Amino acid sequence: MFTLRVDKIIRHSKDTSSLFFTTRLRSYPGQFIMLYLPEYEEIPLSLSSPNSVTVKAVGDTTKALISSNAGDIVGVRGPFGKPFTPTTKNALLVAGGIGSAPLFYLHDVLLRKGAEVKAIYGAKTSEDLIWKDRFKHVEISTEDGSEGFKGTVIELMEEEKLSEYDKIYICGPESMMMSAFKLLKDRNLLERAEFSLERYMKCGIGICGTCVLEDGSRACVEGPVFRGDELDGVVFY
Amino acid sequence: MTLHNHHLPYLKLRFVCTTQGDQTAKIESTKELTKVRLFQPTNATTPKNTKGLNTPQIKKDWMLEVEIGRMKMKNPLILASGILGVYSSSLNRIAEHAGAVVTKSVGMEEREGYRTPVIINTRLGLLNAVGLASPGSLAFSKELHKFSKDSKLIVSLFGSSPNEFSELTKHFDMADAFELNLSCPHVEDAGITVGSDPKLVEKIVREVKRSTSKPVFVKVSSEYDYIETAKSAEKAGADGITAINTLKGIAIDIRTRKPILSNTTGGVSGESIKPISLKVVWDLYKEIDVPIIGCGGITSWKDVIEFMLAGANAVQIGSAFFYSYRMLYSLKESLIAYLRKEKLEISDLVGLAHE
Repeated sequence: MFTLRVDKIIRHSKDTSSLFFTTRLRSYPGQFIMLYLPEYEEIPLSLSSPNSVTVKAVGDTTKALISSNAGDIVGVRGPFGKPFTPTTKNALLVAGGIGSAPLFYLHDVLLRKGAEVKAIYGAKTSEDLIWKDRFKHVEISTEDGSEGFKGTVIELMEEEKLSEYDKIYICGPESMMMSAFKLLKDRNLLERAEFSLERYMKCGIGICGTCVLEDGSRACVEGPVFRGDELDGVVFY
Repeated sequence: MTLHNHHLPYLKLRFVCTTQGDQTAKIESTKELTKVRLFQPTNATTPKNTKGLNTPQIKKDWMLEVEIGRMKMKNPLILASGILGVYSSSLNRIAEHAGAVVTKSVGMEEREGYRTPVIINTRLGLLNAVGLASPGSLAFSKELHKFSKDSKLIVSLFGSSPNEFSELTKHFDMADAFELNLSCPHVEDAGITVGSDPKLVEKIVREVKRSTSKPVFVKVSSEYDYIETAKSAEKAGADGITAINTLKGIAIDIRTRKPILSNTTGGVSGESIKPISLKVVWDLYKEIDVPIIGCGGITSWKDVIEFMLAGANAVQIGSAFFYSYRMLYSLKESLIAYLRKEKLEISDLVGLAHE
């Protein structure tokens, strides 16, 4: 474990913040770190850039984390896990809620590689749509219609000519990823899709066995990013 | 045109290649197999060949077969307890190349374990205090029914009284054997606390043996007088001794100036403890007659050989899975190569260093 100092914090909403560290981590989009907030727990978090994590408060540790201050110290192990495979052609990013975090990082890298990137970004209400201007070309949906299209990202996906994209990257709640998986399976596009999965983790290094999927793959080493066809037969929670 | 293949000295094969106008070749084999092995084991059955040229069904790892406590295993490589042993899916993947797999230790009741951080890397190893996290015997037994049976299944049990241990065995009818965790270094009322009391160990083993007809192994620690504990276990009828569990350790972060693990202390495993565990196996081999399963820091095939020479009949591999999920496959292949070169079977090696 090493430590990083928090450089600045962007408070996106009452329950979501981005923590920027003073040091950039040698990493790839899709990878995660095990972040330890002293006195609290160590949790896996996707990187939202080489030097930031974007956190939504769901438990004690994340609640404390979003209200931390510049100058605070956090413990870090990682980065760990298999990243997204980039493309230089055209890419579709599908983000649901806080699932946008790893896709922010991927978005920046893809643009730098010269790819044409479109994002579909959805949440329950407009308040949950954090940092939407990070995406250069984005289509918004909210379930209550408070912003953009009224509905889900899946409905927006259905309207896209999915077969024209070289790569489709998906991250969001399990139910959303399950619907996206079904849609892409129907259109026979699973091999072009990459999903970033979230599982309860303890070690992050493939030892403890807490995060294994139904086929024995470990979300922390063989994942968290899986190609669509690798997930055939995996139960989404 | 008839060709004789000189590149496969142990396979007498005849190729019949008929070159046709479109340059495609038709290959036939006589499917005759005269000598596949460097030498034949006395009781081996002749391998049956074959479906085709590319897939001769040669059983090449017969020299790795071992038997501990009436339990036959296809090789001496066992997955150690606590590593990737929470779900059947990971056990199944490892079982493909393992002689046996040991599950995560299970107790009667559900236990949450300690809060994270519970595992960190150290130089040449790991430090952990997971805290015997377990779904409880009923839920875990349900999970283990999905085990593939590609290898033997050893269920690791923890508890604090003879009664608790013997009750546990009744829940696991799918198990091929049991391993009693009398050596976990970071939970009170279990593990080391129990294992360091030879009289209690004797009672526990006796009760467990009464409750099941399956082999029972006892996992000991080097943190107490392991010879005394192992002797008590042997006296009470244990079928083997697993040596050793992790050693007590601690890590402190210099910036927060606090211990890193939530439990403050934990167990050290991995390459750094290998000389210690090897010494325990060495000592036990001189003192007890039941088979020994070496465990602690085994990472390369050379380590496996070392443990066998010191007196282990089989070995457990845990922390080395940090390096690769296919650890056992690489070890197995390397061991085969070594044994072929030395013209030995793996069980020939046991205790040779003592002679």
